[in-house]
Amino acid sequence: MNAVSSVFAVSWPREDLTGAKALQRERQLNQFLAEVERRALRMAEIAVRDRDEALDLVQDAMIKLARNYAARPQQEWTPLFYRILQNGIRDWHRHQKVRNRVMVWFGRGGSGDDEYDVVANAPDPAGRAPVDEVQTHETMQHLEVAIHDLPGRQREAFMLRTFEGLDVAGTAAAMRCSEGSVKTHYSRAVHTLREQLGEHW
Amino acid sequence: MKEPGKNEEFVSQARELFDDSVERLDAATLSRLNQGRHRALAELETAKPLSQWLRWVPAAGIAAAAVVAVMVMNAPAPTVTDEPITASDFEMLLEDDSLELFEDLEFYTWLQSADLAANDNVG
Repeated sequence: MNAVSSVFAVSWPREDLTGAKALQRERQLNQFLAEVERRALRMAEIAVRDRDEALDLVQDAMIKLARNYAARPQQEWTPLFYRILQNGIRDWHRHQKVRNRVMVWFGRGGSGDDEYDVVANAPDPAGRAPVDEVQTHETMQHLEVAIHDLPGRQREAFMLRTFEGLDVAGTAAAMRCSEGSVKTHYSRAVHTLREQLGEHW
Repeated sequence: MKEPGKNEEFVSQARELFDDSVERLDAATLSRLNQGRHRALAELETAKPLSQWLRWVPAAGIAAAAVVAVMVMNAPAPTVTDEPITASDFEMLLEDDSLELFEDLEFYTWLQSADLAANDNVG
């Protein structure tokens, strides 16, 4: 979904939301959020490795988009939404680092409770053949771990380009960096993932 | 690792796996997403863009200026009030001239009593 053209800019005029226009905008926003929410959740889940935390992050991003940017032109919503979400994920990682440092200082360590429970977080099988299901699930798990272990900016670039389907310009807008940086991060991410997943792929 | 074809294949497979995992999200998770979305949409009713508030700034400025002007025009004229006695008043009384007045007062009192005595002698 290349929702954003290369001429994306945040300088579009805001629209006033009154009456029928407001209702129409609400419907459009509802449709937009319904389209992106599931992919956004999975991307956040891969980044933080916790579904509940990911749900909170996605909900915060949806609320911030509605509160602050609903009046923006629709084509800006995708990069804005993912920019908000990625900022939330970055903040989450920062808090986790601080939290882990404090826990280590108090002698409780950072491992144990925070370990990602693959079984608990496994998606619903939905009636597929068990063998295929297990194989697909395992491959996805390896991919998730490898993506999670990427440096933050590479992870963002890879997920936005590959999973959300944003073009380079849209990804740059969402990541607030140059298109050149997006290309570099993305290329390095693909290289690293292919190296790490070679045996599972 | 310059293998564009392999990279594309890898990316395509990764996307397939990801899409598959998205499709298999459980009902409870989808329900929570739905709730979150409606919470976000509820924000639309309460959120007022800053520009909507800013448009009232000139009107508010003019109204404030008008109120100040009315207050200034209707302000009561300053009234003359009795000034309190100050130390300078006592200084005036204690000046040399004032002491002379007190001495004269003694003289006038003596003069008046002398006049009365003379009248008595005449009568």
